[in-house]
Amino acid sequence: MIEIRNVSKSYAKGRVKAVDDLTLTVRPGEIFGFLGPNGAGKTTTIKMIVGLLKPDRGTVVVEGFDAQKDPLRAKAVTTFVPDTPAVYERLTGLEYLNFIGDVYGVPKKDRLARIEKGLEIFELASAVGSPIQSYSHGMKQKIVLIAALLPAPRVMVLDEPMVGLDARSAHHMKTLMRAHCEGGGTLFFSTHIMEVAEKVCDRMAIIHKGRLVAEGTMAELRSLNGTKESLEHIFLELTET
Amino acid sequence: MSPLLSLVRTALRVNFGLSLFRPREILRKKRDLWMIPLFVLGAASLGPILYFYVKIIQVLHGWLVPAGQQAVLLTAAVLLGQLLVLIFGFYYVISAFYFSRDLEILIPLPLTPVQVMLSKFSVILTNEYLTVALLVLPVFISYGVLEGAGVGYWLSAALVYLFLPVIPLAVVGLLVVGLMRVANLSRKKDALIIVGSLVLMTAALGGQVWFSRSAGSSSPDPEAIARSLAAPDGLVRSLGAKFPPSVWATRTMAGGPGGAGWGNAALFFGASVLLFAGLVLAAERLFYRGLLGLGETSARRKTLGREALTGRLSSGSHPVRAVFSRELRLMNRTPIFLLNGVLSVVLIPVIFVLMAKTGGGRSDATQILAAVGSKNPVAAVLASALFMAFSGCLNGTASSTFSREGGQFWISKVIPVRPRDQAKGKLLHSYAVALLGIAAASVVILLTFRPKAAVLLAALAVGAVTSFFLTTVGMMIDLVRPLLNWTNPQKAIKQNFNVLLAVLADLAFFILMFFLVKILGKGLLSGNSLVVAVFILLATLSVAGYRALLAFADRRYPHIEP
Repeated sequence: MIEIRNVSKSYAKGRVKAVDDLTLTVRPGEIFGFLGPNGAGKTTTIKMIVGLLKPDRGTVVVEGFDAQKDPLRAKAVTTFVPDTPAVYERLTGLEYLNFIGDVYGVPKKDRLARIEKGLEIFELASAVGSPIQSYSHGMKQKIVLIAALLPAPRVMVLDEPMVGLDARSAHHMKTLMRAHCEGGGTLFFSTHIMEVAEKVCDRMAIIHKGRLVAEGTMAELRSLNGTKESLEHIFLELTET
Repeated sequence: MSPLLSLVRTALRVNFGLSLFRPREILRKKRDLWMIPLFVLGAASLGPILYFYVKIIQVLHGWLVPAGQQAVLLTAAVLLGQLLVLIFGFYYVISAFYFSRDLEILIPLPLTPVQVMLSKFSVILTNEYLTVALLVLPVFISYGVLEGAGVGYWLSAALVYLFLPVIPLAVVGLLVVGLMRVANLSRKKDALIIVGSLVLMTAALGGQVWFSRSAGSSSPDPEAIARSLAAPDGLVRSLGAKFPPSVWATRTMAGGPGGAGWGNAALFFGASVLLFAGLVLAAERLFYRGLLGLGETSARRKTLGREALTGRLSSGSHPVRAVFSRELRLMNRTPIFLLNGVLSVVLIPVIFVLMAKTGGGRSDATQILAAVGSKNPVAAVLASALFMAFSGCLNGTASSTFSREGGQFWISKVIPVRPRDQAKGKLLHSYAVALLGIAAASVVILLTFRPKAAVLLAALAVGAVTSFFLTTVGMMIDLVRPLLNWTNPQKAIKQNFNVLLAVLADLAFFILMFFLVKILGKGLLSGNSLVVAVFILLATLSVAGYRALLAFADRRYPHIEP
């Protein structure tokens, strides 16, 4: 569960308001899509959830742990996939996975099973022994995703996870996301691809200029907007400047 | 604006962070105000050094005037400046020409290879002007003032200064461009940097020995000196014999026998222009051929079976150990980090001894080493410890430990490991590198002076605690403001202000300790008790440094926003 309460964050000493009094709750077992145009505040919000940025005001609570007051416990139940897969290029894929397994305290037996499964799903078994430096963009994205699944976290936060993935891997990713939530986990992800959001998400929120402009299931968004149109149509209408 | 000018302007803006430098913003934001006194202090600390440097120039000038040989000061400045450019230029050229990440953006643009190369060259040239300024400008200015030089001198001096880095940089550029193309090592770029740098370091060491031997510092030939002094600019010629451009530059500024200034100016500027034109020509033909495909790294793909996978899986390391292993691997597998960290701690003691052996009787290196070999055991212990700490700490490993993470720092921020535990892992790694330096220094001491076991052990103990304390200091300096937005690993360690600050802090600490030991040794304590007191003091500082580092990591990590 993720609870974002009255969170604000601004840059340039208050002149640029990236997130403005945002309140959201993502329930366990839910795939939550976070949508918005470029510069709307999606990545800033995500960075505050995972502890990369400090909110100016408000609180972020992950699985009951305040991300500011009890960061270690909040981090222990969360994994994060950033929008660009910047990982240690000089390590091999397996060394990186081992590092993540060590810092999250994943037992060796679970580690083996989960890594094997991840490598098989994302077809990375032949590359895992090579330096990440030699991977393509998509392969780097896959190793970050396998690493994020390795601790079997209760909360997953993904920033544009489909970017760089081939069609097969994107399909597997969606299946894994669903499996994660069916097991009681929470999944919060941002995307620009409206079709993906419409098909995959249980609920979603649209943010524009740092403020929440809509939140709910697809049906709720449609009724809120008084339309039977697609998510893309609703999105364009709500984020018109 | 022409594409070339626009490219050069952008390259300079990126390199010096000019777009991010907004003085008004700093004044308004208050958060960065602490930088102003720091910069003032840094600039002020240069004052005494410059003062003594100018004083030395004045004294030397006074000695040389009666023999009419004062122009040799200009030769020495040009020679040293160009040597400095040559040594640092290799690192700069190879990393800027071939390994900076913005090349991926520049290559697809409708620009010629020469334009791209020139933009890189202009950045290196600007860096080199700053590198040699403190060494060369005081000599040029003092000489002009002392000689009461006219407009012609000042004009030619300004031109010589502007052209000074061109010859060595063009030579290095030609070597690097040729090497990258001909050697066809593009698939082994890491190996290339390491081998190339080691070749250069060996050449520099060899050059140092060769220069000092051929200068005959140990047994000067009186007749040769007399001949040099008798000729109108004999010293200029004898000093610049190995590198004629320094003689041409001197005569361009100070004139030569029979008013040879113009001819030498033609030689100096002509050679600079010719070599630069050669580089442009080589760039047109070879630059992209050596560059394209360099980013491709081939890896043998081999699927790991269950057994192999199980064997290579960690069975669960403690987070501190996991961070330590990560640091070790990332440092040792990144050539620039490896060269500046691990390899330099091994090389520093060797270079130090070579400098002492070849640099005459008055150099600092000789004096420290003389104390290491002293028959007074207390002096020998303390000097050996200083030599060990010097070898272990002046390498930038600790003071770039957070900066080296660069764009990957987000991982350290999101993992569930306490900042103090991450700092412990990094401290273990930085201290391991320092211990390697101590070990290398011990071997050098052992082979050169064959000290008693007790002296060496005591020195090891004092050196080890000194290094531990300085490692924590270096790490804290980097933690204040880690440089994370680099695109070229060179920036994280070689062009990182934190590394320079830590070196200055280390040197200040050594000076402070020197005076403290002197005061303590004057009657308060003597013999073994002095060594024990110094050890206890340093051990206390180490414990305090360790605690401060961990507490500071906990406090600072949440505020670092990658």
